Amino acid sequence: MRDFFEGNARPPRRAFVRQGSTWSLQTAGQQDYTPSTLNAYARNIIEGSFPPIFVRGEVTGWKRYASSGHCYFTLRDRNAQVRCVMFSRDAARLPADPEEGMEVRVFGTLTLYERRGDFQLGVRELEAGSGDGLWRLAFEKLRRRLEAEGLLAPERKRPLPAHPSTIGVVTSAAGAALHDILHVVRRRAPWTRVVLAPARVQGEGAAWDIARAIARLDRAGLCDIIIVGRGGGSIEDLWAFNEEPVARAIAACSAPVISAVGHEVDVTIADLVADYRAPTPSAAAERAVPDHASLSRETDALRTRMLRAVDWRVGAARDSIDGAAEALEQGIRDLIDGRRERVQRCAEMLDALSPLAALRRGYAVPLGSNGRILRSVGDFEPGGEFGLRVVDGIVQCNAAAVRTIELPEATNG
Amino acid sequence: MADSGAIEKRISRLEQIVARLEREELELDEALSLFEEGIGHLREVRGMLRDAELRVERLIEEVDGSLSTEPFHEE
Repeated sequence: MRDFFEGNARPPRRAFVRQGSTWSLQTAGQQDYTPSTLNAYARNIIEGSFPPIFVRGEVTGWKRYASSGHCYFTLRDRNAQVRCVMFSRDAARLPADPEEGMEVRVFGTLTLYERRGDFQLGVRELEAGSGDGLWRLAFEKLRRRLEAEGLLAPERKRPLPAHPSTIGVVTSAAGAALHDILHVVRRRAPWTRVVLAPARVQGEGAAWDIARAIARLDRAGLCDIIIVGRGGGSIEDLWAFNEEPVARAIAACSAPVISAVGHEVDVTIADLVADYRAPTPSAAAERAVPDHASLSRETDALRTRMLRAVDWRVGAARDSIDGAAEALEQGIRDLIDGRRERVQRCAEMLDALSPLAALRRGYAVPLGSNGRILRSVGDFEPGGEFGLRVVDGIVQCNAAAVRTIELPEATNG
Repeated sequence: MADSGAIEKRISRLEQIVARLEREELELDEALSLFEEGIGHLREVRGMLRDAELRVERLIEEVDGSLSTEPFHEE
């Protein structure tokens, strides 16, 4: 092979070129690069030289394309910047889009976008530079929106039934949460019916899964109360309970909802929308059903009250019967007394009117032979006989003489 | 097998009965028949508390959207 550069002062230019799947030394002129081969070559070197890396910087110009879901942004510090892309598959896991100027930490691979020759970072994961910033951000955004709609208002909270017959449970069919709930319900209120609507509680699509399960349970109309929850986990594991579909499903549910996301510290959106927030699934179950013992006490108390009330009622009836009898007796006594009094009075009146009384006082009544009372001088015959009725008998008399006496005016009989 | 639905119903009926007995001026025969009914509910509720066994079911949605339940057994 003729050496093209022979006799030339410049050193021979060499490069690698792709031959099939291997790379070999390119001799200048042997095969010139095109932008395509150049970029492919550069990309290969870049990707081959950098392992996946963490990069920290400030986000600027974040843009999420609605159609594809891909996100483009620039990461920068004071002196430099690098173009970044986050494809929809990865971007979908972000709880929220970072805000302009937000300090973030990304994990990804460096590459070269061959079509444009752009050097860029293919971001697989992105998190706020400090702690749970993005989660917080997403949480706050949703919280504010739900609050504005009034879905978090205290007056929306419904009271929980005291003795639910049927409890709905939305959680993973295989999770510890279900186990804990069943354990508590079995111990406290074994007469309860539990209806499980299984849902995936973490991972992609979990929020929709949970929301659908809630809606299904509600539509079945079997439950007096619904527990929605899962056991503890990282903020990412619990994230479904911070998503809008779950919040809306809880708000729309006609049965009261207890949220039971196993995490003591952080409040989830589900907690805020639910009618009651329990710190753990076990606690939710304890709140949902009455205790066997307390229910026994309750029925005992009802029994006591009922006995007392009936006792009182019967007592009152007895009293009123006694009272009636007494009144009746008194009435009769009064009646009899009254009669007796009246008879006495009549007797006295009769007595007062009786001629015997006058006779007893010393008056006498002259009677003619035919028994007629002789009232005036003219009724007597001089020398005639008549009887004189006194109190205890009749005296036969002779009228020796009769004489008329003028009655004085004022004299009364 | 206790009908779990009955517990709530029976207890709230009991509460009604007690409230009526306590607050209303009832005829004696009415009070006594309420009392008899109440005692019946009490007996039933106590029986349920004693004999009940937890029923666990799983909600199933058919292709046509209808819902039903089947017994669920924990693994």
